[in-house]
Amino acid sequence: MEEEEEGGGEEQQQFSYRQRLKAAVHYTVGCLCEEVASDRGMPFSKPAIAAVSELTFRQCETFAKDLEMFARHAKRSTINTEDVKLLARRSNSLLKYITEKTEELAQFNTEQKAKKKQKLEEDNTRAVVPAEAAAARKDGP
Amino acid sequence: MEGTGGGFRKDLVSKLLQLHFTNSKTKVGGDALRLMAELLTIFVVEAAVRSVRQAQAEDLALVDVDQLEKVLPQLLLDF
Repeated sequence: MEEEEEGGGEEQQQFSYRQRLKAAVHYTVGCLCEEVASDRGMPFSKPAIAAVSELTFRQCETFAKDLEMFARHAKRSTINTEDVKLLARRSNSLLKYITEKTEELAQFNTEQKAKKKQKLEEDNTRAVVPAEAAAARKDGP
Repeated sequence: MEGTGGGFRKDLVSKLLQLHFTNSKTKVGGDALRLMAELLTIFVVEAAVRSVRQAQAEDLALVDVDQLEKVLPQLLLDF
């Protein structure tokens, strides 16, 4: 008897988790549609925004499954940027945009690594310098 | 990196994708996640902009579900 209740509870939890995700998507979609609407001076009806939201949520399922399959095909369990590029292959301009973003991200990552390395080297030199300065002061006037 | 003020947050995108993975070991890399957030934002903005253009072509003052329905086939083909 208790097991049945727990089973029902889990389903409820899963259902309300989905609902919360859908609500979060709806919020973001609403914001984006509002931006487009004010840019173009053309408002959206509430049902239209809800429809885009529903559409986006469902499209995520397709994206997720495709990405998972692409990674598995490459014998990986972690989805990477190559998989995302493959996902964007149907429209040339979309693929080009995503490829550019990938390169921007790669460049950003290398810059971050270089900065960290530089800072690490600076910290090491700073640690050495005070000892030398103290020695110099002792010898000085 | 984002042109628009709004846009999908990485943690939301991560949860949305995780919801539909068939294998529990499947994960999304950090850069891939950022790209997916970008892709989803583009998807929504495309849907919105194409619907607006449709409404303008039909000389309407408001975008309704009918306009979205008309642009939907091509949108899905492009994604």
